[in-house]
Amino acid sequence: MRDVSIPETWDRRGLPGWCYHNPALLDLEKEELFKTHWQIACHVSDVPNPGDYHTFDMCEERAIIVRDTEDQVRVLQNVCSHRGSRVVADERGHCKNALVCPFHGWVYNLDGTLRGAARPDTFPTLDKHEFGLTPIESEIWNGFVFVRFRPGPQPPVHELLSHFSEELAAYDMTNRVPVGEIWKETVPVNWKSVRDVDNEGYHVAMAHPALQDLYGQNYNDEPYVDGTSRSFAEFSNSVGRRWAVRNYTKFSKPHEGLPKHLEKAWIYYGMFPNAVIAVTPETILFYQEFPLATGKSLLRSNTYRYPNEDRQQRAARYLSSRIDRETVEEDIQLTIWSNESMASKSFKGFYLSDLEYGVRTHHDHLRKCLPIYTLENDPGEAELSELNASMAS
Amino acid sequence: MTKPTRQRAEFARQKSDLFLETGISGSGRARYSAAMYFYNHGFMSADLLEIYRRCCKFDHEDPLALAKLESIPIVVAGELNIEGDASQ
Repeated sequence: MRDVSIPETWDRRGLPGWCYHNPALLDLEKEELFKTHWQIACHVSDVPNPGDYHTFDMCEERAIIVRDTEDQVRVLQNVCSHRGSRVVADERGHCKNALVCPFHGWVYNLDGTLRGAARPDTFPTLDKHEFGLTPIESEIWNGFVFVRFRPGPQPPVHELLSHFSEELAAYDMTNRVPVGEIWKETVPVNWKSVRDVDNEGYHVAMAHPALQDLYGQNYNDEPYVDGTSRSFAEFSNSVGRRWAVRNYTKFSKPHEGLPKHLEKAWIYYGMFPNAVIAVTPETILFYQEFPLATGKSLLRSNTYRYPNEDRQQRAARYLSSRIDRETVEEDIQLTIWSNESMASKSFKGFYLSDLEYGVRTHHDHLRKCLPIYTLENDPGEAELSELNASMAS
Repeated sequence: MTKPTRQRAEFARQKSDLFLETGISGSGRARYSAAMYFYNHGFMSADLLEIYRRCCKFDHEDPLALAKLESIPIVVAGELNIEGDASQ
């Protein structure tokens, strides 16, 4: 049983400000958090046919998710065995027969094995597995394709998210289709500022008028426990002041089979360190953020609908996307304000509400992975990694 | 599907890709990929494979026309009669 209660007394401070702008820490985060934890690359419906592929770049690593001729989704390094070039340069596409590296023309079968080097007469015999594209650890869970670039502390995805499996079973997540292409936006903040905002609903009443109208007081955050969190919201009974909300709640029509208690629910499932899967009566979606620099992050998201939705469901989905779009823009502003506070010498640090306990538990997870976060003062860059290692041992 | 049946099906699929009509999006790479398959199986010379590589970025380029232009022998073996099939 997950204990999601909030303790009567707890340390209400956040991470120290230096954690948001130290380049050596960012390097450590890339290596020890992002590459060693499961990441959502896409959904199987993003590559519906043999030869369809999607690429996924993160923290200097590159993956290609491709459906092979046996209809199996493969996750491979998008790194040619010859000179390391991208084997596919586009974000998504279809290859009719095999993957051809655009640098010299090495050819790879859709299962990643090497079909042949360009000018094969200039090489000794090459083993098709040894010189194939390296498989990346991956798992498909409810249709989402998860990748992990390096072994890490998390269990398999199906175990990590097992607490939510029963609830999510009603959403038939595997059999969805993408609403559009994967959305991306670069924001001028440290990745943790994105998460700090997203990990609490305390700001909703103030910052998100549409969400407040939609689910107002019927919103509850559960903190991070063993790498996952959950936030549950249900439509308010009040008439929405906002046009999109008023009409969304009017048109929202749950898909057949969705149990009564989920018919008006928006649920968010957090996955440490940087991702959320969300479900609404009409859609499922994921969103995540990745560091590009200490003060620059990439937001990435996609939404998936039922393949057989009717006009009313389509209208509701459109209206919910308007609510979401508005919310994202508002959140981006909050992340900018939150992030700039971390550079201010006069700011003493977070003092969190009980409604922000999720922020604290996320930070606790970070501290557990990288004890260097517990230092109040900036350790500098020169030996940060070694210092963290000595603190961990 | 038995192994020989699967191999025949694969052969047919690759042959179909080798003769993909020029101009189809992605056909240049598909033709080169198929050429690599036939090179591996001893049906095609290294010189002719290289012609397919040079054309693979350009969906509109006909590798056989380039081979003729550059006097690269269209050497084939066994079932894969490139010139015969190409003229069909």
